[in-house]
Amino acid sequence: MATGDFERQALQHLDALYNFAMYLTRNPPEADDLVQETYLRAFRFSHRFQAGTHLRAWLFQILRNTFLTFYRLRERESALAEDGVPDWDVPMFHDAPDDTAGAMEAHTDLERAMHRLPEEFRTVLLLAEVEGMPLEEIARVMSCPVGTVKSRIFRAKERLRALLRDYETG
Amino acid sequence: MSERLSDSSDEALGRRLATDLPRYAAPARLRAAIVEAAAPPRPRRAFWLAPALSALATAAVLVLVFLPMLPRIPPADPTERLVRSVVAEHTRALMWGTRRAEIIPAALPWLTRESGIGLTRAFVGDDRLVFVGAEPVYLDGRRGMALYYRDGEGHLLTYMVLPAPGLPLPERRRVQVDRFKPALMQDSGFSAWVWRQGDLACFLVSDMVSQADLERFKDYFVRVRVATEPVPAY
Repeated sequence: MATGDFERQALQHLDALYNFAMYLTRNPPEADDLVQETYLRAFRFSHRFQAGTHLRAWLFQILRNTFLTFYRLRERESALAEDGVPDWDVPMFHDAPDDTAGAMEAHTDLERAMHRLPEEFRTVLLLAEVEGMPLEEIARVMSCPVGTVKSRIFRAKERLRALLRDYETG
Repeated sequence: MSERLSDSSDEALGRRLATDLPRYAAPARLRAAIVEAAAPPRPRRAFWLAPALSALATAAVLVLVFLPMLPRIPPADPTERLVRSVVAEHTRALMWGTRRAEIIPAALPWLTRESGIGLTRAFVGDDRLVFVGAEPVYLDGRRGMALYYRDGEGHLLTYMVLPAPGLPLPERRRVQVDRFKPALMQDSGFSAWVWRQGDLACFLVSDMVSQADLERFKDYFVRVRVATEPVPAY
């Protein structure tokens, strides 16, 4: 694929990637950075992209990996105890960052509940239900088998319902 | 909301996620930044280009300054070399005047002694050309004699005689003027008639180079040529 074609096709997914980044980071400036970093990496490694495969899945995969890399690094740094020994209880799949100044405000219970889901649940629901991605593409984005994707979708919806129930019962 | 989300089916919850969750569009500035990042980098000017250009410019200026001071390569052709010397002498006289202008025929004996060239007849001027002066010269290792004239428009003409036995005249430069056939040569923006009289080479130099001037220059040549007869004195 010619470089110009690749860039043009990649930019068609900008809004979807930004939306995904907003739900991952819950912070517009961080979403900006994340999307920009994603495109920089995609352009840099465009030669590795296999024409004919799903560009959208490839871009989402880069974005998610970038997010996990940076946020895991941040979590790991913050998880160091005062004596410098790492805290091994840091969960593999962590929640999104806590509310901070400038963080995106949730307007509905559904949005609020989504923000409280662990990242792998939030991602799988966003890709499957909001972006309408087939299971195979989601599996590629999340680097896991299709069966795992199905399982996560099921568990994510269960978790979401539980959170919504909490909001509804006040 | 008629149905509680917490009680909805998987399909219904999925639909609500697709329809109720706000979608965030990428800001225009982000799009612009990414498009700019995608654009091919502008070719950077090589780091050595500016100093190289600067050095070249300096060298060019130095060449222009010192070029006139560089020794000119003398032409291999003896006639051209002699013409160049004669023109240089003419230029010197034009700029600084003659060194010791003498009046002929009163100074002829002294001039003959100094130059080794006698004039059995000499053109002393007429209604078109005014005699300015005469002096001995030393050019290209030869003693000779120069006579200077000025026309009504201020053109200086230098007539010069030098001993040059067998000096070849370039045939393609020879021009029929009246009953004579001198060679018309150019050097440094000056014109020179060159002809031989025995073992002597004669030159008439002026700055008349245009086609209109050339006709007048021919006339001056004839006036000088028919009225001047140089001979080796020793």
